[in-house]
Amino acid sequence: MAAVLPLMPERHRAAPKPALLWALGVAAVLACAVTAALASVNEELYQPALRVLLVWWITLPYIFAGIVAWRRRPDSFFGPLMILAGFVTQLSILQWTSQPLLNTVGQLCDLLVAAVWLHLFLAYPSGRLAGRAERVVVIIGYFAAVGLQIMILILGGFNDLHVLTVAKRQTAAEAIQNVQLLSLSALALVGVALLWWRWRSLPQWQRRRPAQILINCFSLTLVMLAALLTAGTFQLPGFEIIRLATFTAAGLAPLAFLAGLLDARLAKAGVGELFVQLRTDPAPDLRELLAQALRDPTLSLIYWLPQYGSWADQDGNSRSLPASDSGRRVTFVKQNGEKIAALIYDAALGEEPELVEAVSAAAGIALENGRLEAELRARLQELQGSRSRVVEAQQNERRRLERNLHDGAQQRLVALALELGLLAERVNDDPATHDRLKRARSEVAESLDELRDIARGLHPAVVSGHGLAVALESLAAATPLEVHLKTAGLPRLPEQLEVAAYYVVSESLTNAAKHAQANTVTVEVSVTDTLIVEIVDDGIGGADSERGTGLRGLADRIEALNGRLRVWSSVGRGTRVRAEIPCA
Amino acid sequence: MRVAIAEDSVLLREGVAQLLTDADIEVTARCGTADELLIHVAEDPPDAVVVDIRLPPTHTDEGMRAALTIRQQYPDVGVLVLSQYVEVGLAMQLLADSAEGVGYLLKDRVGEVKEFIAALRRVADGGSALDPTIVSTMLKRHRTSDPLDSLTPREREVLELMATGASNAGIADAMVITQRAAEKYVSTIFSKLGIPATGSESRRVLAVLLFLRS
Repeated sequence: MAAVLPLMPERHRAAPKPALLWALGVAAVLACAVTAALASVNEELYQPALRVLLVWWITLPYIFAGIVAWRRRPDSFFGPLMILAGFVTQLSILQWTSQPLLNTVGQLCDLLVAAVWLHLFLAYPSGRLAGRAERVVVIIGYFAAVGLQIMILILGGFNDLHVLTVAKRQTAAEAIQNVQLLSLSALALVGVALLWWRWRSLPQWQRRRPAQILINCFSLTLVMLAALLTAGTFQLPGFEIIRLATFTAAGLAPLAFLAGLLDARLAKAGVGELFVQLRTDPAPDLRELLAQALRDPTLSLIYWLPQYGSWADQDGNSRSLPASDSGRRVTFVKQNGEKIAALIYDAALGEEPELVEAVSAAAGIALENGRLEAELRARLQELQGSRSRVVEAQQNERRRLERNLHDGAQQRLVALALELGLLAERVNDDPATHDRLKRARSEVAESLDELRDIARGLHPAVVSGHGLAVALESLAAATPLEVHLKTAGLPRLPEQLEVAAYYVVSESLTNAAKHAQANTVTVEVSVTDTLIVEIVDDGIGGADSERGTGLRGLADRIEALNGRLRVWSSVGRGTRVRAEIPCA
Repeated sequence: MRVAIAEDSVLLREGVAQLLTDADIEVTARCGTADELLIHVAEDPPDAVVVDIRLPPTHTDEGMRAALTIRQQYPDVGVLVLSQYVEVGLAMQLLADSAEGVGYLLKDRVGEVKEFIAALRRVADGGSALDPTIVSTMLKRHRTSDPLDSLTPREREVLELMATGASNAGIADAMVITQRAAEKYVSTIFSKLGIPATGSESRRVLAVLLFLRS
């Protein structure tokens, strides 16, 4: 069976332990319960029930989508980042309590959520920040969210519940807060620009619909976040509405992410269709089908040539494996532990390892099928060839023997008969000698009759000499049955075909006369691109092509010419023999 | 009588030539191939040709084709085809239009000197000579409600002789009866088989063959 081996095993990380994931899930639920409890004891909270629901909405989807992503893509940091975003949100809720330390933690995490979201969105899909611009934006984001927050708290910003106040400088704290909110707001907008710039630079085929929906969700969240922070800065009216809208948008992103995973599962289901297509005849272009199934038109399929120790494409051109930093990835198709082929595809597909695995398994089976089929065809051809050669050699040998008999023994015996006849004429006056010579001549004539039978049995010279129609006329005449011959317009055909057809008719007529108790036989021969010989009698039927050596021998002869012989012979309903031999 | 021979076996060719010469027949050409024979016939048409069915270069149907050509282009030249095997199919081909001036015999028959010379003379004179095996083969065929069943054994004998091209006199000789009796047999057979009585002997050969084949 095919096996799959990634080219860069160092990128494979162990999947997280299920216990860890379960613990995270339970923690998320407990945290939500804590949120509800905090809201119920905090009397200053505006619209506590709605706030709790919003917090749940932006926590649970992130944590659960993160758990699913982490389990399915252990290589990617995106899942852990999502989980982090969810728990940071939960931590920020601690500002609802009046317990000083917890309240401090909550205050510190208040804007951290915004920075983590920015980080998360820009790190899609690998969980790593791909470019310098992204890294700079995220670092500034964290500084603004946490660094400036600490400064504000030290200067006694917000309220007196936290423990960080060193000096009460209300004005400075407010100024820093304004800078903080506006810079985060600006960073969110820069983040949107980066997302779109990166999306535009992707090749067309990689801009898949699920990814586009996800990028749209990220952008919407960031834009709403910018609006929320700006509204907070200038204490604009409708702040609560904007917060509601922002949180609602933020909860959509993980749901879109889960939908994308579902789409990848669907793509994997498409592999089933790939198997169906691989079974169609004639064999389809394997590379094309694999490219469709992987949705990567740049996919290439190359084959390992063990005798040369190198890779080659379908046309035999030498190819090499891509370098690890080329943006291409490789998956080997293996057979009994030996690599036999490789799929080279866009590195972006590394995000869907199950799909690549399934497709390369299909490729392995298809390649194996193709190899087995080619081998089988080659053997069949070989067999067919040797069978034809045996029949042809046999026929040539028989023709040679018949010819030798005709030109040798038969001619000499005829000359002898002639000589004896002449001698007999010359001894007319000696009746005794005359009679003995005539008897000798009769003996020779008998021998000639016997030789004729032998020669005819060896090879039907009349067929090669005068064609099937003439030969069948003689056959029909020599058959003690009423024979209806339909051979009108029959052209001359290659000798092998004519001789084979002759034997079919000869054997069938013999059977009809000897075994079938038939009265009438119809023999019909026609030619298009196939020579069709059909013999139908009105006898008792019940002939068996497997038992009688005659019919079996005929079938061998016909099959050696790529034709086929069929016999219908149900008891009491006559016998129908039909031979079809291709003329090409 | 003047006769040309086409036969690729020298032994046999010379033997037949000897046979003809002994019977006071002039041998005008001794050919080894069909082409030689056709050239000779064109230059100096003989009364009849004796031609082997298998001749060089392919030893398949060269002799047969030469025979058909001569029959078509030189209707006055009798054609006697000799072969190691006689085929009803070939007989029907040779006699496609008429049985006049044509013969088709097994090669063995050259040993029956008198009969062979008589057949050759008949062919040269516009008559026919078919090998008896052809007729006997065809007579073996079985038909449902066969009019042949109504023939007496003597009548069947006459029918076979008639089909080989024998004249009434020939039939009378062979059966040791009077020519008058032979004529009577012939007309009885024709009426029993429903064949219209035809004048010439070669025409009735064809009529009988066609009847047997049908």
